[in-house]
Amino acid sequence: MTRLAGGLIDRSQTLNFTFDGQRYHGHAGDTLASALLANGVRLMGRSFKYHRPRGVLSAGSEEPNALVELRTGARREPNTRATTVELFDGLEARSQNRWPSLGFDALAVNDLLSPFFTAGFYYKTFMWPKAFWEKLYEPVIRRAAGLGRLSMQADPDVYDKGFLHCDLLVIGGGAAGLAAALTAARSGARVILADEDFRLGGRLLSETRTLDGAQASDWISALEAEFESLPNIRVMRRTTVFGVYDHGIYGAVESVSDHLPEVSGRVRQTLWRITAKRAVLAAGATERPIAFADNDRPGIMLAGAMRAYANRWAACPSETVAVFTNNDDGHHTARDLAAKGVQIAAVIDARPEAKARGDYRLIAGGMVTGSRGRLGLKSIEVQANGRSESIECGALGVSGGWNPNVHLFSHHRGRPVWNEPLQAFLPGEDGPVGLIPAGAAAGHFSTADALRSGARAAQRAMDELGIAASLPDLPRAEEADYTVAPVFHVPGKKRAWVDFQNDVTVKDIKLAHAENMRPVEHLKRYTTLGMATDQGKTSNVTGLAVMAELTGRSIPKIGTTIFRPPYTPVTLSVLGGGDTGRHFRPRRLTPTHHWAEAQGAVFVEVGQWMRAQYFPRPGETHWRHSVDREARAVRGAVGLCDVTTLGKIDVQGADAGEFLNRLYCNMMATLKVGRVRYGLMLREDGFAYDDGTCARLAEDHCVVTTTTANAGLVYRNMEFARQCLWPELDVQLISTTDAWAQIAVAGPKSRALLARIVDRFDLSNEAFPFMACTELTVCDGLRARLFRISFSGELAYEIAVPARYGHALIERLMELGADLGATPYGTEALGVLRIEKGHAAGPELNGQATALMVGLGSMVSQKKDSVGAVMSRREGLAGDRRRLVGLRPVDPAGNVVSGSHLFAEGAPRKFDTDQGWTTSACYSPHVGSMIGLGFLENGDERLGEVIVAANPLEGESSRLRVVPAHFVDPEGARLRE
Amino acid sequence: MSDLRPITALGAALPRLASFGALEIRENGGLALASMALRRGTVEPTPFGLALPGPGRWIAGQGVAALWTGLDQWMIEAEGRAELDFAAELKQLAPGCSVTEQTDGWVAFEIVSRAGTGPIDALLSKLVNVDLADFGPGCATRTGLEHMSCFVIRRSEAHIAVLGARSSAGSLWHALETAAKRLEER
Repeated sequence: MTRLAGGLIDRSQTLNFTFDGQRYHGHAGDTLASALLANGVRLMGRSFKYHRPRGVLSAGSEEPNALVELRTGARREPNTRATTVELFDGLEARSQNRWPSLGFDALAVNDLLSPFFTAGFYYKTFMWPKAFWEKLYEPVIRRAAGLGRLSMQADPDVYDKGFLHCDLLVIGGGAAGLAAALTAARSGARVILADEDFRLGGRLLSETRTLDGAQASDWISALEAEFESLPNIRVMRRTTVFGVYDHGIYGAVESVSDHLPEVSGRVRQTLWRITAKRAVLAAGATERPIAFADNDRPGIMLAGAMRAYANRWAACPSETVAVFTNNDDGHHTARDLAAKGVQIAAVIDARPEAKARGDYRLIAGGMVTGSRGRLGLKSIEVQANGRSESIECGALGVSGGWNPNVHLFSHHRGRPVWNEPLQAFLPGEDGPVGLIPAGAAAGHFSTADALRSGARAAQRAMDELGIAASLPDLPRAEEADYTVAPVFHVPGKKRAWVDFQNDVTVKDIKLAHAENMRPVEHLKRYTTLGMATDQGKTSNVTGLAVMAELTGRSIPKIGTTIFRPPYTPVTLSVLGGGDTGRHFRPRRLTPTHHWAEAQGAVFVEVGQWMRAQYFPRPGETHWRHSVDREARAVRGAVGLCDVTTLGKIDVQGADAGEFLNRLYCNMMATLKVGRVRYGLMLREDGFAYDDGTCARLAEDHCVVTTTTANAGLVYRNMEFARQCLWPELDVQLISTTDAWAQIAVAGPKSRALLARIVDRFDLSNEAFPFMACTELTVCDGLRARLFRISFSGELAYEIAVPARYGHALIERLMELGADLGATPYGTEALGVLRIEKGHAAGPELNGQATALMVGLGSMVSQKKDSVGAVMSRREGLAGDRRRLVGLRPVDPAGNVVSGSHLFAEGAPRKFDTDQGWTTSACYSPHVGSMIGLGFLENGDERLGEVIVAANPLEGESSRLRVVPAHFVDPEGARLRE
Repeated sequence: MSDLRPITALGAALPRLASFGALEIRENGGLALASMALRRGTVEPTPFGLALPGPGRWIAGQGVAALWTGLDQWMIEAEGRAELDFAAELKQLAPGCSVTEQTDGWVAFEIVSRAGTGPIDALLSKLVNVDLADFGPGCATRTGLEHMSCFVIRRSEAHIAVLGARSSAGSLWHALETAAKRLEER
């Protein structure tokens, strides 16, 4: 079939494309589907289950059949609807779910085996043996019954996102949407008009009906020009509003370069989050087919789609067509196609009273009962008035009536309401707040009605927003009534398709009914009706109608399934927002990051932070070499570690001390100015959740540190306490985590090193003892803060300077400390040092441990109340007898594995004999063997006992001796030296 | 004066500057910042003559500016004073207030359009969920930008500033640069 006359395609622009390797050409303005039809291609795909040959059914985003793979390599994209693919020069498309070719598909044998593949087939058949499911059944089924193939490569395309705000969002640019946008835009309101198509006009583009006596496209062009001139309206073509979310937020995907030949580097799609005060749903309606025997052959399509291909794209699948309808719309197709010179074999109207609207053969009260043609329609069987005849035709347009697109209106569990005269569901009353349906989506099917309802919907929206909007002069348009007969399927014994994409037939619905899968949600899952990528846009209502008929109930009594976003398929990449790999989430770098990088540090992700894990030196072939050396340097000389990542919160105000007293379980109000205290915070349920230090810089000024992991959480909880729990306290908070570069200077020579940078400050033990803090200057006048605190158990300090100086400070310390053996150390050595010292950290404070368990029970002050204190004394928690202990292998060469479970020697290794677990483990260069920490039942009373640490999953176990949780300097003398 | 040499938030000796079409993005390394919060019973001060702004607002004086950051709290900006102890100076002018040094808690990117407000609005709509109809000069807000908490300040029609955590300066630059480049390519 060659092109018809007319249409909205640009014949001056010829575009070349291939389908299954075959070269074709189309024109600008074509879709892949229209171009294929214009090239005489009716066969476009194979069905999901039975591999039946299929052609295009629709002309829009509801398409269930014509699914193709686009592009090649990593850009290969399966399951693309040919009806929505804008043709471009060089487009490569392939059919899918067939082997070896679309014309001859070996798996079409499934069609012969169809009696075995009925509803519930999988549930009944592949039950036994269970082990076969994953390895055998599922892969085979997936291969045989599939859609397209993934490329299995990373998506190379670029995606973007953005945020828009408006007074009115108009969803759909057809008659109703254009009228709504015009009304609101002229009122001065901020308007966004979004349409999934690349051309505004919606159904107006597919009809020959005139507006004010002229072509509809004239009116649309004038409107587009007016929109262009108005600053307050944004027209978004190729933009699908796919979901309605809370508080007037709409999700939309704009296809930015899907229609362009060269996509490399360009943004492919943009995800828009649109916040609209009001929205008009002008999404139109979707035509539904009538199910009859073998109604799925290529060439059988929706009558409205057939008309759209002829009028908009000047394409028709055959020179001879027939129409099967239960409403007046089928007659429009016959009339329009006849006017284009297409031969109308017959119009079969199920209504006995039907009248012809043109010069064609009408079979009133007739039904199509079958079809012929293996890879494309050759003839149809028609029964009327007790007679049956065969009519030759290459295409059949079917119209079973129109279903308003209520999907978005039903996204907040809005239930559509059945309308008997229209034989369709309309938007109900309980849809999303602020969303007003209009046009065909609201059941206004004539052009004039659609225009009026669109304008009124916008006026109502403006009225609600207090914006004066007058109704524009709308063009004169067709006012025809819409009448439809309730004919959903033609009774018969052969298979009649309801859901084309998932191969669900009337028979399957009957079987579901017979097997008592009658509630609508059961019907859906048992037969997979409406569960394909088209979400049953052309099939759901028909499926409900068939079930209604079988159960003798009305369609509204059957009810509908739940509508959920997205309205049409959305790629995961665009939902991901674009950034992948390194930029997938923000990275936080410490002030000494660039310095550490230059030292060759290996980094580790700690939440968003990148921290130096260890600093390998030449000749070190294993990370343990580096870590052991770093740990020894701290114990023997002096080490430097960036600890900026620990949260720092500035707490000021007259009640700062009282405030902290209520947050920390231990006494904090008594802390003297110039001193630091270790603090433990409990959750409200009494468990320990974070520890840190509190430094009192002034009576009304403290600086609190938190763990790296809980910096945000502690700050949030403190703000909550300040604003909501105790608003009467005079307290001001602000995070200063990033503001100060903080470096731990730890080891016996730390004092000597710091003495070289402080400006006239007495660092002696008497003047600046353990747990002292001060503000001072370093390196000739740079403001700094110094804290004498220790995580390693050695004489140690932490020094803070404004973050921009962190890099220079560590350089200076390394330079001045060269003769002292100054050594940078990373998080691994930090871990080794704290395990050797028995300091609890994340693995111990894991949210399941109490202060008692970590050996800090006495810190929970009885003299005051604090968050979680009362709950920590409840029976279930106070009675927990697990205690933090040190663990050493009985065999010095033995291993300690964190996460192992602890058992008494000789006891069975079962849940009820489990006595605890190993929380942390490392090789200790100080001890000379592996060591660990763990929670052990009555651990504090079992020192010296040998227990078993076991990993029953992998059959591993080792004998460990219970020791105190301090492997180094148990008296704590070093840090006080 | 200390001989320690500072580095910028992006890890260089000098602030970064780049142009993308009509947009210029400049790292403002000289901007000093200090937070200021009223204590109980304190009279609202007017540091440097600034009439402290209300919610969602930013106000500029001579080389200094203030933006509202919460109930009874503001961030005070001072151009070119990042190397000085600006918090100490502010504290003198804000008796009865809690003042905290914030200069190095943040990185500030100044984004200026040479083609009026259009490119600025287009950029903002790709970055932050802010209703631009209500975000004219003198507006400021705290908002999420690529999972980073930022202050966005409209200094004038064609000039905005984005303040983000100093530690994630690189990620913030990437986000701004990516959005600006895409506008340029469009």
